[in-house]
Amino acid sequence: MWKEKYKIGVELIDSQHKELFSRVYDFLSTMQSKGDWNDKLEKVKETMSFMQEYVVVHFNDEEAYQDKIGYPERDEHKKAHADFRATINRYVEIFNTQGFNEELVQEFGAKLMTWLIMHVGKADKKIGEYVESKGGETL
Amino acid sequence: MKAEYVNPFYKATCDVFELMLSLHPKRSSLKAVEEMVNTKEASVVLGVTGDLKGIVIFSFPKDMALEMVKIMSGIEMDDIDGFVSSALGEVGNIISGNALTLLSKNNYKCDITPPQILVGTYKTFSTPNEKALLLSLSTEIGEFDISMLLKER
Repeated sequence: MWKEKYKIGVELIDSQHKELFSRVYDFLSTMQSKGDWNDKLEKVKETMSFMQEYVVVHFNDEEAYQDKIGYPERDEHKKAHADFRATINRYVEIFNTQGFNEELVQEFGAKLMTWLIMHVGKADKKIGEYVESKGGETL
Repeated sequence: MKAEYVNPFYKATCDVFELMLSLHPKRSSLKAVEEMVNTKEASVVLGVTGDLKGIVIFSFPKDMALEMVKIMSGIEMDDIDGFVSSALGEVGNIISGNALTLLSKNNYKCDITPPQILVGTYKTFSTPNEKALLLSLSTEIGEFDISMLLKER
């Protein structure tokens, strides 16, 4: 799922993005694997909670990095993270109260994948461009 | 419907396809049509409200739809299931959101309604006496259509 073009040129962020894409890939692979939904449910739940935790860790680290470098668009970026965290929490709430319905898990998987690609490819790329304009990662 | 509404959708489609799919759509035809209908197996239908009102439909052949989701996920897809159709809906949603941002620069303030996904069923959406525009685009993995019927309020 990870592609070289998603690299932004900041080592810490790129390595976390790779990890995040890899966790999302595991989640989607499990979700889409052949077989009865109930049989793979345990694995779906497990990969999902891993991934959820990692999203939070990554958002926090990325926001701290933006504060450290004084990234001018950090408030807007924080808001994008907060909005997506809210989306994740909304689904988690639904899964906890209504159970892990296959269609809903697939819908969540699709939102997660497309959001991640767009966010990394567009918003995060701009952090890389800012760092580059300030003379690279040494600042 | 004015042809000037087409460009923001075309531009947004090219940008999003490049970013999300590494594909480069080219215009293959643009024509006025009497009926607004989903022309291919997998379609994303979005409503537009605000200064412009109407409907936009992205229609993909099945093989292309499956390939698009494979490019994004890295996983082989063999059926238009809930995951594939939701992913197509998100792509349609992102393109339309970007198109509306471009339209807002021309002072048209609009919103989109959540995407509706149609698989294998054909439905007509036209209103009487209104011509819609059908933009066909070709890509490295197949040809797809964007149908639009947008009117100023």
